[in-house]
Amino acid sequence: MPHPASSQAPGVRIDGLTVVYKTPAGELPAVRDVSLTLEPGTITGIVGESGSGKSTLALSLLNAVQPPGRIAAGSVEIDGLGDVVGLSGERLRKARGAHIGYVFQAAQNSLNPLKTVGKQLLDLGRSHGVDDLRGLVREARELLGRMGLDGARVLDSHQHELSGGMRQRVGIMLALVLNAHVVVLDEPTTALDMITQANILKIVREVHAERGLTTLVITHDIGVVAEVADRLAVMYGGRLVEQGPTREVLGAPRHPYTRGLIQAIPRLVGDIDEARALPGRPPTLATVPTAGCVFRERCALRMDVCETDDPAAVAHGTRIVACHAVKVREHA
Amino acid sequence: MSATLLPETTSTSAAMRRNFWRGVWRVMRRKPSRMAGVVILAGFILMAAFGPLFYPDHLPSDPDSISRPPSWEHWFGTDPQGRDVLTLVITGSRYVLLSAGVTALITVVVGTAIGLFSGFRRGRWDTVLMRITDMKLTIPSLPLLLVLATVWKFGNPLQMGLVLGLFGWGGVARAVRAQTLSLRERGFIEAARGLGLSTRHIIGKELLPSMAPYIAMNMLIAVTGAVYAQVGLFFLGVLPYESDNWGVMLNLAVFQAGAMITPNALGYLLAPLLAILLLTLGIVLVVDAMDEIFNPRLREE
Amino acid sequence: MTIIARRLAGHLARGLVMILVVATISFFIVNNIPGDPMAARYEKLIEQGMSPEAAAQGVKVLYGFLPTGTLWEQYTDYMSGLVRLDLGVSVSRPGTPVLDVLGEATKWTVLPVLAGTLLSFLVGIVLGVYAAIKRTGKLGDALAISGSLLHGIPQYVLAMLLVVIFATLIPILPADGPVDILFEPGFNAGYIGSLVEHAVLPVATYALSAYGGWILAMKSSVVTVLGDDFILAAELRGMKRSIIFRYIARNAILPLFTILALSLGLLLGGAVFIEKIFNYPGLGLLLINSINDRDYALMGGAFLLITVAVIVANIVADLFYTVIDPRVRSGEEAR
Repeated sequence: MPHPASSQAPGVRIDGLTVVYKTPAGELPAVRDVSLTLEPGTITGIVGESGSGKSTLALSLLNAVQPPGRIAAGSVEIDGLGDVVGLSGERLRKARGAHIGYVFQAAQNSLNPLKTVGKQLLDLGRSHGVDDLRGLVREARELLGRMGLDGARVLDSHQHELSGGMRQRVGIMLALVLNAHVVVLDEPTTALDMITQANILKIVREVHAERGLTTLVITHDIGVVAEVADRLAVMYGGRLVEQGPTREVLGAPRHPYTRGLIQAIPRLVGDIDEARALPGRPPTLATVPTAGCVFRERCALRMDVCETDDPAAVAHGTRIVACHAVKVREHA
Repeated sequence: MSATLLPETTSTSAAMRRNFWRGVWRVMRRKPSRMAGVVILAGFILMAAFGPLFYPDHLPSDPDSISRPPSWEHWFGTDPQGRDVLTLVITGSRYVLLSAGVTALITVVVGTAIGLFSGFRRGRWDTVLMRITDMKLTIPSLPLLLVLATVWKFGNPLQMGLVLGLFGWGGVARAVRAQTLSLRERGFIEAARGLGLSTRHIIGKELLPSMAPYIAMNMLIAVTGAVYAQVGLFFLGVLPYESDNWGVMLNLAVFQAGAMITPNALGYLLAPLLAILLLTLGIVLVVDAMDEIFNPRLREE
Repeated sequence: MTIIARRLAGHLARGLVMILVVATISFFIVNNIPGDPMAARYEKLIEQGMSPEAAAQGVKVLYGFLPTGTLWEQYTDYMSGLVRLDLGVSVSRPGTPVLDVLGEATKWTVLPVLAGTLLSFLVGIVLGVYAAIKRTGKLGDALAISGSLLHGIPQYVLAMLLVVIFATLIPILPADGPVDILFEPGFNAGYIGSLVEHAVLPVATYALSAYGGWILAMKSSVVTVLGDDFILAAELRGMKRSIIFRYIARNAILPLFTILALSLGLLLGGAVFIEKIFNYPGLGLLLINSINDRDYALMGGAFLLITVAVIVANIVADLFYTVIDPRVRSGEEAR
C-alpha cells in the first residue's frame, strides 16, 4: 500500500478537556481545562512527572479514560472522525485501532501471553472487519521488517519470547497495521536500554514521516522529546503550563516549572552541581490545589494572585504559557 | 482522606495505629453484617468459656422425656437419654472451641516459624523444608487421621488440638514463606541489614508486624478447619465417645437416634449443625472484614 | 519435550517417596495396633492345630507380613508384598483379595465425584466471571458472599442438611445406598433410573460444597486478569468485546484447571463423609468400615490408593499446565 505524505495526516484539536476521577473525597480533576492542537503531520511531545495527568490525557484521545475516571468537559476533534468524546459503542471501538493507534510502554505486557503475535493480529483484523487477512499479515510482516525484525518469526512468537525492544516494535506494528494516522505513544522508551531507546526513537521518526502520521509522544524524559518532537507541551498537576516549538521551549523556557525541569537535567559536560532539582514534590490527585496556580507551592516567582487565580493559558507568539509571573513580565 | 490515598511515610507509628483503628471502624460500619460476625464470634467464645459452669458435670437425664421433639421446655428437644439438646450443645462447645483454639495456635506458630525460617534463610534449608511441606500437603490428611485414629485415641481436647495442629501447618508455612520472600524482594530485609539491625530485630520488629494481620486471618481460617476436622472425626465414629461434643452428638443423632429418618429427632441433629453453621458464618464475616482492612487491592471504592 | 520429560521424572520420583512414606505409616500402624491382634490370631491358628509355619503364613495373608522376625524383616516383607501389588486379603470379606475390593469401591466413588466436581466447576466458573465483572454491584456481592459461605460450610453439614430437607422433611429423594435392591442389576431402565435417583443427593452435595471454592477462585482470577495491561491494550486496539472476553476467560481459567485436577485427586479421599452419610459403598466408606472392622489389610490398601490418586492428580495437573501454557512449555515458569 502506498502512503502519500502528510496530506493524509489528520489534525487533532483538544479543547477545554477536563477529566475527573471519583474518589472518596469527591471527584478530583486529573486533567483540567487542557487545550492543545496537534498539527497534521507533526510529532508533539507531552512531558510531565508521574501523576501530572499526561497518561490520562493520552487515554482521552481514544475516549478511553478508565473508571473511576471520566471526561467531564471539553472535546477532542480529530479530522475525519469528529469529536471523539461524543463517540460511543461500536463507532468508538472501530475508531480505536483503525483511526487512532495506541502504543503501550514496552515494560507493560500489552500482548495476550497465551497467543502468538500472529493470532492476535488476526483477532485485530477480524475485530475491524478486515476481509483480506492475508494482506493484513503481509502488511504486518512488512512493517516489522521495516523496523528491522524478522516478521515471520515474530508473528510466530509469544510475548515472553520477545525482548523489550521487540515488544515495543510489535506494539507499534499493531498500532499502525490498520492504517491509523493518529498515533499515541505512551512512554515509548521507558525500561529499554540506551541502544534500544535510540533505535526505537529513530523508528518512530522514520515511520512517522513515511506513513504521514500525526503523532503524540507521552514521556517523563525531556531527552526523548528533544530527540523526536516538533512541538512540546509541559504538564503539571493536570494543567498544560507551557507549550510551543520544541527548540524554543527547551532553549528559552518561560514557565518556572519548565525552567526547573530543564535545570534539573545533569549535563554530560560541566559541573554536576549545576543540575538543580526542583524543591518539593509533585502534587497528586488528592493534594493538587483546587484554586489558584497548581505550581505555586514550589514556585520561586510566586505572587499573591497565584493563591487565588488559576493563570489562563495565554499565547505569546508561537508559545502558550499559563503563568501570572510571565504575564506580568510581558506587560511590564 | 488523603491518608488512604497515599500512605504518608513520615507519619509516626502512633498515628498509623490511630488511622488503623479508624479504618477498622469504617470497614465495620459500612457493612453491618461484619459487626454481626464479631458479635457471633464473641458469643461463642463466652459460651465455651463460661457456659459449662452453669451445668453439672453429668447432665441430668430424664427417663420420662426421651427423644422428644422441640418444645418450649426443650428448644431443640431431648436426646435418647432424655438430656436437653441445647444444654448438650453449650457444654459440648468447650471441647470443640478449646481444641480448635489449640489447633489454630499450633498451626500458626509452627507454620509461621517454618515459613519465616525458610523464606529468611533460603538456600538448602528452604528447599528441604518446602519439599517436606509439599509432601505433607499432598498426603490426604483426613484419611491419614482416620488411619491414625486406630492407634491414637484423642482423649482430651488438648491432645486432639495438638494432633490436628501438627497436621495443619503446611498451608500457613507456604503462605508465610511467600510473604517473607516478597518482602525480601521489595528490599525490606536488605534495607534493615544495611541499617545494621540484628536478625532478631528484623524478624521481630519488621517482618512479623507486617505479616501479623495476614497470620491472624490464617489463624481464624485454621479455627474453622479444626472445628470441621474434629467434629467430623467424632461424627464418623472412629473415635471413642469419651466426652460430650458436637461431633459425638451428630454421630449419635444420625446413627443411633436415626435423625435422618424420623423427624422426631431432628432437633438433636439440627442443634449442633446450626451451631457449626453459625460459628462458620461468624468467622467468614470477620475474615471478610479483615480482608478488606488489610488488603488494599480489594479496597477499590 | 525434554522439559515435560524432566518435570514428569521429578513428579514420579516425589510420588515414589510419598508412596514409601504412606506405606511405612501403614506398616507401623498395623504393627502397633493396641491389643496386638496379630499375636492373638497366630495363637488361635496354632490352637486350631496348624503348624507354626502355616499359622504364620495365615497371619501374613491378613496383615501383610509374618508375625515372627525382627521389625526390619517384617518391614521388608510388607514392602516387597506391595511391590508385587499384593495387598493381602480382606478379613471383613473373607477370601476376597484387597485389590478386588478396592476396585469395586473405586467405581462407586469416581462417578459421583466426577459428576459433582465438573458440575460445580462449570457453574462456579460462569458465576465467578459474573461476580468479578459486577464486583461493585449488589448481585456480585451476593454471589461472592454465597461463595464464601458455601465454601466455609463443611461437606458433612451440607450433606446432612440436604438429607434432612429432601429425604426427611420432604421425602422426594432416596438418601440411603447407591441403588434400590428391588431392581435387577444390568442395563435396564429401572436399575439405571434408581442409580441416578440415588446419586442426586450425593452429587448435589459434592457440587454445592465445591461450588463456593470455584466461584471465589474464578472471581479473583478474573479480577487479576482484568487488571492486566493486555486487556486494556486490546480495548484500545478496538478489539471486539467477544474476543476480549475470550482473552480474559482463557487467561483466568488457566490456573483453575490445575486446581481442578488436584481437587479430583483429593476428592477420592474427601468422599469419606458423603459416602458415610449416604451409605454409598465407595472408597471412603470402605476406609471407615475397614477401620471399624479392624480389617487392616483393607485399610492400608484404601489409604494407599487414595494417596496414589492424589499423586496421579498432581502429575496430570502439572502436565496439563505444561501443555496449555506456552510460558511453561518453553521452560519459563508461569507467573
